Amino acid sequence: MTLAVAILALALVLPVAAGPHLLTATIVALHAAFMALAWNLAAGYAGQFSLGHSLFYGIGAYASTVLYVRLGLTPWAGMFVGALLAGVVGTLLALGVYRYKVHGIFFALVTLGAAEVAKGIADNWAFIKGPVGILLTMQHAPRDFFFLRREPYYYVALAMLVVMILVSLALERSRLGQFFLAVREDEQAAEASGVDTYRYKTVAIGLSAALTAFAGSFYAQFYLYISPDTVLVFEPQLTMMLGTMVGGAGTALGPVIGSILFSGLGEALRNLPFLEGTRQVVIGSKMVYAVLLIVVLIYLPGGLVTLGQKRA
Amino acid sequence: MAVLLDVQSVSKAFGGLQALSSVSFTVGAGEIVGIIGPNGAGKTTLFNVVTGVYAPDRGRVVFRGEDVTGAAPHHVCKLGAARTFQVSKPFAALTVLQTVRIGALNRIPDMAGATAKALEVLELMGLVAKRDEPGRALTVMERKRLEMARALATQPSLLLLDEVAAGLRPNEIQDMIALVRGIAAGGVSVLIIEHVLEAVLRLSGRIVVLNHGEVIAQGRPDELVNDPRVIDAYLGEAYSLA
Repeated sequence: MTLAVAILALALVLPVAAGPHLLTATIVALHAAFMALAWNLAAGYAGQFSLGHSLFYGIGAYASTVLYVRLGLTPWAGMFVGALLAGVVGTLLALGVYRYKVHGIFFALVTLGAAEVAKGIADNWAFIKGPVGILLTMQHAPRDFFFLRREPYYYVALAMLVVMILVSLALERSRLGQFFLAVREDEQAAEASGVDTYRYKTVAIGLSAALTAFAGSFYAQFYLYISPDTVLVFEPQLTMMLGTMVGGAGTALGPVIGSILFSGLGEALRNLPFLEGTRQVVIGSKMVYAVLLIVVLIYLPGGLVTLGQKRA
Repeated sequence: MAVLLDVQSVSKAFGGLQALSSVSFTVGAGEIVGIIGPNGAGKTTLFNVVTGVYAPDRGRVVFRGEDVTGAAPHHVCKLGAARTFQVSKPFAALTVLQTVRIGALNRIPDMAGATAKALEVLELMGLVAKRDEPGRALTVMERKRLEMARALATQPSLLLLDEVAAGLRPNEIQDMIALVRGIAAGGVSVLIIEHVLEAVLRLSGRIVVLNHGEVIAQGRPDELVNDPRVIDAYLGEAYSLA
């Protein structure tokens, strides 16, 4: 508890000490941690290994952006509409997929396919500007979630992450969270314990989808440009998975630790002398990520949070 | 005596294998009923049909007056029929307390109340000391007790036990018999599948004998041990080997 307060206090004053570069890197890390925790809700706690969470991320990004550009609705409200929409899409997808008893690797593939289909639709949908994407204007408009300085974005990202951690902790201590764990561990035994597995799997995906959408909206407001090639690709999904798997799936802290590690690593690799040009950096960092992921999964299958714990 | 479970002419086939043919029996409130029969007689299939894992091809399952034929397993559990699995299915990564509390949450929605209920059941099952151990760390006996604890925590009116004495040492079997008696004394009806004859003969007020998916006899244990059909199908084999 004291440690948590100390970290939070440090985080609150960080912008004073940090230069713009470090601040941006930290925002990216907080954002990654938020979406990792959102994915972790379904994949880590309930064991529903979705590979299609970019779909929900994309829905969040597009909903707040399109509502702002077309209707002038402030993205502060638009992000909630996006979350609702992603929640509904996630729930319907889950209802359909689980109805036909699709699970495990097949569930992962179906969700991956769903995200691909969404990208195809977005690429061909003129109303949301197809593959060209939507550019937002850099401006000072706090009421519409636009800032010229980085600090406000930092505090929004920090607040979002704190809320997300609290949601995860509350889930762990709740009936819902316990039922998620039962579903993850053994569906037949869960059913025999009175847990409606169909219902709770669906709730897990719906809830996780809605929360993921908030991250998408934040992305749009921070980068001021979205397109199918940036938010509806595998990249956001990869960010969620790497942080969660390496940090520790099914915990509230693991995905945060993993995401911060990967964001920091990404920054460090960008500055290595022997990696020249964007292409080399991207390929080089992906190789490092892959090696790290494999090493952690072999030697610490529970993620970095299990470091120091006795092996059962 | 009020009828709690009424299995009516249930049949179930897997491909060409007739696992159950027109099986009928009842379990009354407060009764301990045993189901015996050689391997492949259809005992576990019968459990799976009663608890909603499989829908029968024909026949009906009525539990507490409600037709639960083909109902989802969690629904049957909520109605008050809880089971254990022959091959125990612990929540490997969850602690003993967490596992049993999940069962308790079925009827007690708040975590504190469910925790209290879970601890009460763990006390009864002699697992309190293991409360913080993960399921995967338990021994065979402890896993069987955990299965029973999880089922009991759902507060069933009918407990279905699938081979809880199998694989146990003789002294553990005695403990298990005492446990099941204790549970039944608490007002829970018990339907028990058992290979360990000593356990089932001593526990059951009534026994249903299955062979090749058919009920070949049912009655009190002392009647059945002298029934030539039963000796032929089951006891003969077991006793001649023993």
